[in-house]
Amino acid sequence: MTTYSTVGKPITRVEGSHKVTGDSLYAADIQLPGMLHCKLLRSPHAHARIVGIDASKALALEGVERVITAADLPTFSEKRMSNRGYNLLADDEVVFNGQPVVAVLAETPSIAEEALDLIDIEYEELPAVLDALAAMEDGSPLARKPIMEIDRSEAKGHVSVDVKEERSDKPSNIASQAKFSRGDIDQGIAEADCIVENTWRSAMMHQGYIEPHSTVADFDAASGELTIWSATQGQFFVRDQISNMLRIPETKIRVIGMELGGGFGGKIFLTQTLTAVLAKIAGRPVKLIFTRKDDLQGATPSAGCVVELKTGMKKDGSITVIKAKIVYDSGAFPGASAVVGAILLGGYYRFPNLEIETYEVLTNKVSVGAIRAPGAHNVTFAIESQMDMMARELQLDPLEVRMQNAVSEGDAMPTEVKYPRIGMKECLEAVRDSDLWKSRGTKQNGNGKARGVGLAIGGWLGGLQPASAHVELNGDGTVKVLVGANDISGTNTSFAQIAAEELGLPLEMVSVATGDTKTSPFAGMSAGSKTLFTVGRAVKAAAEDARQQLFDIAAERLEANPDDMESFEGEIRVKGSPDKSIPFRRLAGITTGFGALYPPVVGKGSITARKQAPGFTAQVAEVEVDEETGQVTLLNWGIVQDAGFAINPLSVAGQMQGGATQGIGIGLWEEMVYDDEGKLINDGLLDYRMPTALDVPNIATHIVEVPSEEGPYGARGVGEPSIIPGAAAISNAVEDAIGVRVTEAPITPERILRAMGKI
Amino acid sequence: MHRFEYYAPASLDEAVALLKEHGDGVKLLAGGTDLLVQMKEAGLHPPAVVSLHAVPGLDGIEFDEASGLRIGARVDVASIESNDVTEQRYTALAEGAGIVGSIQTRNMATIGGNIANAAPSADTAPPLAVFDAVAEIIGAGGQREVPVIELFDGPGSTILTTDEVITGFKLPTPPANTGSVYQRHTPRKIMDIAAVSVGIRLSLDNGKIGEARVCLGAVAPTIIRASDAEEALTGQAPTDALFAKAAELAQAASSPISDVRGSAEFRRHLVGVMTKRCLDIALERAQD
Amino acid sequence: MAKLEVHYTINGRKHEAYIEPNLTLLDVVRDDLRLTGSKEGCGTGDCGACTMIVDGKLVTACLMLAPQADGAEITTIEGVAENGTLHPVQQAFLDKGAVQCGFCIPGMILAGKVLLDQNPKPNDYEIREAIAGNLCRCTGYTKIVEAIAAAAEA
Repeated sequence: MTTYSTVGKPITRVEGSHKVTGDSLYAADIQLPGMLHCKLLRSPHAHARIVGIDASKALALEGVERVITAADLPTFSEKRMSNRGYNLLADDEVVFNGQPVVAVLAETPSIAEEALDLIDIEYEELPAVLDALAAMEDGSPLARKPIMEIDRSEAKGHVSVDVKEERSDKPSNIASQAKFSRGDIDQGIAEADCIVENTWRSAMMHQGYIEPHSTVADFDAASGELTIWSATQGQFFVRDQISNMLRIPETKIRVIGMELGGGFGGKIFLTQTLTAVLAKIAGRPVKLIFTRKDDLQGATPSAGCVVELKTGMKKDGSITVIKAKIVYDSGAFPGASAVVGAILLGGYYRFPNLEIETYEVLTNKVSVGAIRAPGAHNVTFAIESQMDMMARELQLDPLEVRMQNAVSEGDAMPTEVKYPRIGMKECLEAVRDSDLWKSRGTKQNGNGKARGVGLAIGGWLGGLQPASAHVELNGDGTVKVLVGANDISGTNTSFAQIAAEELGLPLEMVSVATGDTKTSPFAGMSAGSKTLFTVGRAVKAAAEDARQQLFDIAAERLEANPDDMESFEGEIRVKGSPDKSIPFRRLAGITTGFGALYPPVVGKGSITARKQAPGFTAQVAEVEVDEETGQVTLLNWGIVQDAGFAINPLSVAGQMQGGATQGIGIGLWEEMVYDDEGKLINDGLLDYRMPTALDVPNIATHIVEVPSEEGPYGARGVGEPSIIPGAAAISNAVEDAIGVRVTEAPITPERILRAMGKI
Repeated sequence: MHRFEYYAPASLDEAVALLKEHGDGVKLLAGGTDLLVQMKEAGLHPPAVVSLHAVPGLDGIEFDEASGLRIGARVDVASIESNDVTEQRYTALAEGAGIVGSIQTRNMATIGGNIANAAPSADTAPPLAVFDAVAEIIGAGGQREVPVIELFDGPGSTILTTDEVITGFKLPTPPANTGSVYQRHTPRKIMDIAAVSVGIRLSLDNGKIGEARVCLGAVAPTIIRASDAEEALTGQAPTDALFAKAAELAQAASSPISDVRGSAEFRRHLVGVMTKRCLDIALERAQD
Repeated sequence: MAKLEVHYTINGRKHEAYIEPNLTLLDVVRDDLRLTGSKEGCGTGDCGACTMIVDGKLVTACLMLAPQADGAEITTIEGVAENGTLHPVQQAFLDKGAVQCGFCIPGMILAGKVLLDQNPKPNDYEIREAIAGNLCRCTGYTKIVEAIAAAAEA
């Protein structure tokens, strides 16, 4: 096994102390001279025609600069308007409660807020379509005008799949659909000794980043230059979208991705174009900061989903069949990853007979977008609960049944694409050896509370996007790495480790900077578990390039062959002759000083990623259920994940714990609740409940390393898998504890009591 | 938040005069943890806000055996949570105060505000009611005292007139051999609002229940006393069967609605479970 | 609407501002006094990102009207390090990998600091209770709890 000096070590973050001293700058911290504040007036109806807007009273309020409606904005083709991103303000029709209709620009946020109350909008209400299953039926009213085009570019940042979606020819609420088949369903059913059939529901939920959507825009009319300070996971994506939409060349757009207060797929592209247009119209900088209510009502949460699932298993534990219909509620615009859901639902186990239909359905709710592993937790709740139910019915061990049927290298996904090398079985093996799993059934119940242990797995295919990086030798022999990827959670530390490793330098001699879209080399969005997987490779290639340049120079100075050089502890030296060496500081002098003999050392790394490296996780929940109140308390949680190679184990563990906790939230609390008129009832963080520190236990992590083919040092993406199996693991643990199955997530006390027949 | 006229009177008289002058729509500000949320997110836009922070005489927790406990209306709930007297003699109140919001909320929220806000889920209301607390009120018409249980006339609404201010609460000294408890059901352990809450006080007299108070929160338009349950308990020797019956009577007294925090059936079920559990705890504490 | 003058002592330095009374303490500290380390995550006291220490007590500054805090001694995240040396809680957050996106961290650190000021050797439950008013969406809390425990040992 290769030994490394810097990668693979748990390194604390290199970017310094800014995030613990309050010095880091986030988008909302930007304050520009003459800046106007924007507030949005949102639709109070789920579906309505806008008959008229009277803003005269608002305009008369002192301190109100402009009141903007769709009529003031650039227009886009009807095809383009099928996509959420082009709907800056609602035009003649609102399609979800919370959709922005009017933007007010004022001198202070309070004046803008007061002005919102002074705007009169006359609406003519239209039938609201709120239930995705009903929306699919023939004769259902339409939630909106038919979709003419679907832009999946944002979703592709999270996962790459090459499947043709079908679209219906007649007007319907189905935005897209796909079907996957294999083998013979009837035969699969006939062969099974146990058939389990259920309908699994999982709620629409929110990414829950603590920083709301925030953007500041400034347009300089004289130069035509647009500058955007924004909370985004993908500054280049924002630049490209704005350029396309507003027909501004990219040379005139600078997008500065600020420190990002969490994104989880939900903070890529939403308010930037609108803010830019407003700044252009007003001729002054504009700041648009969402309130939490804005964010819950009108961002892009994660889709709710219904999975009708039928699966069969033989007495020997082998699975025979899966037949499923998946329906994602996409809200009022396309955005749910229906195809990915189908691939995962039928892709964790070797089903010989398979038929999965999957639908993305439009309703009059806020349209959904990506989340950590978009669409995955919904289908995993279904299949991983049902694997347990079949094992239980056949009195088989739930872990061994999974092991027996698990996919591995060469097995086909429902698309018939073959898996590369993956680590699902290795994750299960680690669970099998864990104390938590071994403790099943050994602990006593007490106080009317029942204990249970549950297991579930999850996997994510991962995104693919090209990336680039620069590695440059500074004048004092230290090294700077420049990337264009927004560092949300510590990726720059891992990049420093990679550069230090390749150059044989101590970590403190390397610094990493994220530039903006004008100053830094291109990177894809920080999403899809691919920042390290792709940009990390680019940094490695750039460091290798820089190293070769250093070898060439050093070889000439030392009169040796470049192939005989090595880099070690801040020196380039001849292998086997440690006394023949040149320190980096000297190399810096002769490449950057006045009259330097050699050109500056600038390594460039440009890569394109073509091969996915799916990441798997297995998680174990230990719960205590109060059988009288239905309250679930988590006693222990363990997560195993295949990181391929953990470049920074501390950071990988942090990703695992954070994702697992979001999965726990999905399993126990998080649900966007709509009333009969399509209004979000829980539009604050008191009733949209994310777990607090008292609600979750310490989360034990175990990293397994099954190297990927293309990732740096064999690394795989680690961001997404951890969120996936939470609800399923809890569902399985609850059944282990009290013998009843809850088929709807979140698994609330009320749903448990109903399943028990107590209410 | 919309703009408003702000007043920080230096005396109660001045505060009352301001309230009278501005009439309907003026809001009293104490800790702000309820009021500001309503002004930011719930469409409440008062033209004027009268802050009590500079008014003297609203602080302090005082106790003596003869007259009982007095708590100033502006006392923050954190101080009530950690007070020795409340912890030992008025346990349910310390428990209710200790579960409001987060540490940050408890440092800011006042007991007067928690009551005047009149949420049926207010965590200090059932505890005050089970100790027969009386609110001291001052207004343009003079002073009066109203039992806390009679203060409310609907969700978010009290019988106070617009010029009245709660200045404090008086709680009689509990009889010997008293045990009390407050519990609530919430999805999360903290940072939450009761779907159901139960406050109980049992005062034992020669092994029998001399006085019983059962107060329910979040299951009716206001907090309610489960009087049938209290009557059934009074004078009886405590037994499992008696507590089960009292729990049923408490359930019958509740009239919960279905909302985002739970359905009516769920809440009614919890009233039974929690009343029974709280009776057991109160008895154990009374016997200690 | 009449403006008011308010005076605060923030991190040991005196500040004054001439403000509209409908601003919160958080608004004034961030926008007028330009101390932007305190964050606004919800505006309704449910996330704790705006946590400050006001007259010795942990509060959510998004729910405190600016004039209510007139005359107060205030500590924000910018005042936790002394003479360029990180507070043990700050150092431990870095050492234990407890920081990801960083948005909740200022509030978390202040909550941890107040806890250790009052209870120098807290157990796991006491730490969790002390930060329960501060939501974190990135870390799942495990490393934050470890960091505060480590700071208590420092």
